[in-house]
Amino acid sequence: MRLGLEIAVTGLILVASVYVVAVLDLVLGRLVAAAPLRLAEAVVRPVRRGALLFLQRPPRTERPDQALWILAPALLGAIAAAVLFVMPLGPTELSQSSGMRDVDAGIVYFGALMALVMVAVYLHGWAPNSLFPMVGGYRFVALALSYEMPLALVLIGAALPARSLSIGAIVDAQAGLWNLVRQPLGLPLYLVAALGLTFRGPLNVSDAADLAGGTPAESSGVALLLWALGRNAILVAAAAMGAAGFLGGWRGPALPGPVWMVAKSLALVAVLLGVSHLVGRVRLERFVIVAWAVLIPLALLDVFAAGAVALLAGRP
Amino acid sequence: MTGALADGLFWVMAAGAVITGWRVFRTDSMVRAAYWLMASFVAVAVILILLAAEFLGLVLVLMMAGEMTIMAVFMVMFMMNPAGLNPMTMVHQHRTAIAAGVIAFVGLAGVGAFARFPSAPPPAATHVTADVGHELLGGSMFIFETAGVTLLATMIGSLAVASRRGRFGPADEGSVEPGPPAAAPAAVPESEHAGHAGMERPDGMVP
Repeated sequence: MRLGLEIAVTGLILVASVYVVAVLDLVLGRLVAAAPLRLAEAVVRPVRRGALLFLQRPPRTERPDQALWILAPALLGAIAAAVLFVMPLGPTELSQSSGMRDVDAGIVYFGALMALVMVAVYLHGWAPNSLFPMVGGYRFVALALSYEMPLALVLIGAALPARSLSIGAIVDAQAGLWNLVRQPLGLPLYLVAALGLTFRGPLNVSDAADLAGGTPAESSGVALLLWALGRNAILVAAAAMGAAGFLGGWRGPALPGPVWMVAKSLALVAVLLGVSHLVGRVRLERFVIVAWAVLIPLALLDVFAAGAVALLAGRP
Repeated sequence: MTGALADGLFWVMAAGAVITGWRVFRTDSMVRAAYWLMASFVAVAVILILLAAEFLGLVLVLMMAGEMTIMAVFMVMFMMNPAGLNPMTMVHQHRTAIAAGVIAFVGLAGVGAFARFPSAPPPAATHVTADVGHELLGGSMFIFETAGVTLLATMIGSLAVASRRGRFGPADEGSVEPGPPAAAPAAVPESEHAGHAGMERPDGMVP
């Protein structure tokens, strides 16, 4: 019964947030381009586009792996749902009795699901048996192997003050001071990694226009719609983790916890989408070099500093 | 999780682990084999989580997702089969494989039959993850952590040493295969080369 309620709440959040991301993306794109913007259009257009895709025929390629082609978007959406399922919307005691549940090893849970994003994108590129999608899939593997290490390291840094791997405990440990202030390197590095993880803007190398669309180049109709929804959902999941790990999660004055959590997640979604529209795509080779030569050492510095502070300051 | 639900999930995952493990050897593609194997490991990971070893189960998924992707990419590279879609058999050296399989099965089944498994879930106050860490590493935690960071540094160092200079030139400046001296693109000035770039395509001619 409680499990059913939790699943229903997660589903509701997922559907609402995927739509909000689509609207925000449109609005920010128009703002950056200084193009005229009508609110009614921004609200209706994602729905119209979704309905149109819903009516389109599925495409055919020569000898695709049909099962994996269908499963890849489903896997991406399921990963996002599984992340949102454990995001704390309030104090841990409250979460235990109603709403989301807390996982003992929450950071590892997040990391495991993020590793599966690589599987989803690679298979989405591999399954159609077509050139451009496959190049996109291989590009994402190279990208993922570069951003995953900084991503994992800054999240370990965020977990150190809490002396716990649980996301609820990490939020609780930010009662006095957010990790944003305590670990100034944490959130910027996390956001760079999150751009790779959600393959957007400067790090959109797998679904890029220079590959005629990349991994979904051979997709249309419902499959393309599901892939777009999955991409939006994974963005929300990454933003929610950033809000919980670095911005104090549900903590904030006056307003109830869930409102703060949603507001902070939305703010990070807006930052990521804004960067996606403002910054051009970087070459994958350059990013791989920057990731291994700059981002990983910075992330290690972040972990060592966080560890030293946690050791010297004792239990917060 | 309630008893009946957990029991049901266990049997589904146990059957899933065996069936996906069998599919690894019946499929005809490197990439499919790698991900069937990953599916098998994910089913085992769910069983570990059901056994309250949450951390071990999650780490298994974390490692296998990355590992199987890298394995698939490497196998495809070595097999000269760019998409990994050309049919091929996954079973070789039958006698050795059968012997190794029987020995491994008997050994693991022996552990399953003779080990004493706890019959009750751990008390609610137990910090299972921390306990697993102490049980596995105990007082050697610091040594293992140091070794882990050293290994990471070694890995990055070996990558840096290996990747800077490739067979056909520096890796970060674009590798060019050696050809006849006159045709080497390096001989074309940068600006002139850029000017031709747009005109090469229509007639398909390469300078």
